[in-house]
Amino acid sequence: MNLMGNIILNVAIAFLVGSVLFGLQRKIMARIQMRPGPPIIQHLLHTFKFFIKESAFPKTAAMPFYIAITAMLCVIWVAAVIVGPVTEGSLLLFFAIYAIHKIVEHNAGSSSGSPYGKLSCVRAVYSAAAEVPLFAVLIIIYLKTGTMIISNIVTFQSQHGALLLSIPLAALMFFVLILSKSPYSPFAITKGKDIVSGYETEHFGLLRGYLMFSESIAWYMLLWIFLTVFIGGLNPVGYLIGMVIITAFVALINAVTPILNPNHSVMTQVTLAFIGIAGSIITLLY
Amino acid sequence: MDKLKTASWFIFIISVVSIVYALVFNPAVWIVYTIALLFIPLSILSFGLLSMARGKKEEEEDKRREPFIGY
Repeated sequence: MNLMGNIILNVAIAFLVGSVLFGLQRKIMARIQMRPGPPIIQHLLHTFKFFIKESAFPKTAAMPFYIAITAMLCVIWVAAVIVGPVTEGSLLLFFAIYAIHKIVEHNAGSSSGSPYGKLSCVRAVYSAAAEVPLFAVLIIIYLKTGTMIISNIVTFQSQHGALLLSIPLAALMFFVLILSKSPYSPFAITKGKDIVSGYETEHFGLLRGYLMFSESIAWYMLLWIFLTVFIGGLNPVGYLIGMVIITAFVALINAVTPILNPNHSVMTQVTLAFIGIAGSIITLLY
Repeated sequence: MDKLKTASWFIFIISVVSIVYALVFNPAVWIVYTIALLFIPLSILSFGLLSMARGKKEEEEDKRREPFIGY
């Protein structure tokens, strides 16, 4: 298959699998909370449905930035698909993409003109402090494997065993990051229901569908990176099983925990990161 | 046809043509990456701008008004 075909195929897989996993998460959460819950394909259906819904752009929106920022989210996660499954490139690029995701959250909130969006925009900056540990995960992986290239990390694991077993606390830190990006997470302060839908409050209709499209790819990519970096190269069935297990575990946590307030959210993540960094350094030394 | 619709058609056609070009002619890698990064997102956005439903002209003003301004 040529390169463009490979990219389109991977983007389509990321979107479809990511959407269904989001649906699965909602279904599991609902069953734990003794509710029937929506069908597993609900997230996917919503994404399509929003594309044909009536859309209007608020007077207060900063045009054309208000629309461009949704395209930016799509651009960075298509880039993540290229860096990840298509080329197995550098982890550094992936984390640069993740940093831009934060900026998108921030700017989507501020461009809408809604006070809910603006509050979410402030929280996006605030919660970025809790994601510094992400860079610590990078350093720990580099110290352990001597490389930042995903394909080399996979090769390293085929020779020395899964990184999940040798640097489990780094894996835990990455898992907390995944948890913070899931809907209804205790750490999802940028989309807490106290601020309606946070930075997405004024992005409705087709723009909401477009954001949901990118978020599905983002969820798939976060799980793909976790499985590839901490377990190693899996076959497609292995990836699917791994993603379902992580999504189910995330759903279990989200179903039984409230959304923390911003202070508690950031401090909990920072504390977990401190334990992760100190523990990983001790593990690497001995 | 309004400006938004015209611009959306223009972007959609350019995006689809670029993607088909990269699929059929297999150009240099950097060109494929540029097309993928720019035109996959733009094709979806422009398709959405074309497929979205539009309200009645007289109701549009009410829908665009931000009800939460008070700060």
